[in-house]
Amino acid sequence: MAAVLLIGSVMKFAIALFSAAHAPSSRRALLFAQAALASGHEIVRLFFYQDGVYNAASSVVTPQDEQDLPQQWRAFVSDNRLDGVVCIAAALRRGVLNDEEAQRYQRSAVSVEAPWALSGLGQLHDAIQDADRLICFGGA
Amino acid sequence: MSTLHVLSHSPFGDNRLASCLRLLGNQDALLLCGDATYALQPGSPPFEVLQAAGVNLFVLAEDLQARALDTPDWAEAINYSGFVELSIEHDKVNTWL
Amino acid sequence: MAKSLLLISRQAPWSGPGAREALDIVLAGGAFDLPIGLLFLDDGVFQLTSGQNAKAVQQKDLSANLQALPMFGVEDLFLCAASAAERGIATDALALGEVKVLTAPDIAALIDRYDQVITL
Repeated sequence: MAAVLLIGSVMKFAIALFSAAHAPSSRRALLFAQAALASGHEIVRLFFYQDGVYNAASSVVTPQDEQDLPQQWRAFVSDNRLDGVVCIAAALRRGVLNDEEAQRYQRSAVSVEAPWALSGLGQLHDAIQDADRLICFGGA
Repeated sequence: MSTLHVLSHSPFGDNRLASCLRLLGNQDALLLCGDATYALQPGSPPFEVLQAAGVNLFVLAEDLQARALDTPDWAEAINYSGFVELSIEHDKVNTWL
Repeated sequence: MAKSLLLISRQAPWSGPGAREALDIVLAGGAFDLPIGLLFLDDGVFQLTSGQNAKAVQQKDLSANLQALPMFGVEDLFLCAASAAERGIATDALALGEVKVLTAPDIAALIDRYDQVITL
């Protein structure tokens, strides 16, 4: 498909994040996502996998003089009514649980709340099938 | 068919840059961001390799700025809207996680 | 027609969750009947050496999941020849059969053939 047909079209992005909130790639992912929407494109889903699940943890307390990525991600997803999905298997093994899972496994801490949803890798595949572009962020 | 490869790890003590360059196609592009921009440290082996490689090289401007590095004339510095455009111009994006 | 996905697995089996979590993406895709390919690159080639003993370090044995790939409809398995050679791994003595050994230009062409790619 020629690039010239695509520039100017609305593109659908699936964005997957693999690193925690303190990683520079998490901030980079958010800035890319914001730029995508600002350019008039759509984000079909944000999918958090591996350490990316930590970005959805409401229990993260960021020092006052630092950028609060979890709060910024939350605001970004809510304000733009995006689909923010956190991989349930990756989240459980990292201690990032919603109310239902905390009850199921009898853990005291609930750290996944709206707008985030815990779901499986099927949601990542679904987003990949739906989107024009898959962009992954993670590592450093 | 072309791929935008994205690197964010420092090339010193990491083999992602070397592995990526080995399998870069002619139409592909390479975007350096984060610590991968240290590859543009003048006089360093990665700098020389990139200069000689003649790849379609892009670099995230904010990361060069943060590190007081200059954009060589064989690379193009971009911002986030440029990053979005690049991801559309190529058929897919391969981030070396 | 479903979009195809190439997973490039670069981590050694027990360097962290990377190898296993890459494989989970592949298995999930296979379970949904999606066209998935898996390329072992760099330290990822260490996932395929014979005689591994995960229990010695109290880790899960990945080879059972790797053997299960064809049952999930994932048969497009590839290995980077240079990565294996650099690590002293003989490509005729791998723990997994039916892995195509590719050169660097083959890999560039392989990436072109897939709709999406994840390098983990």
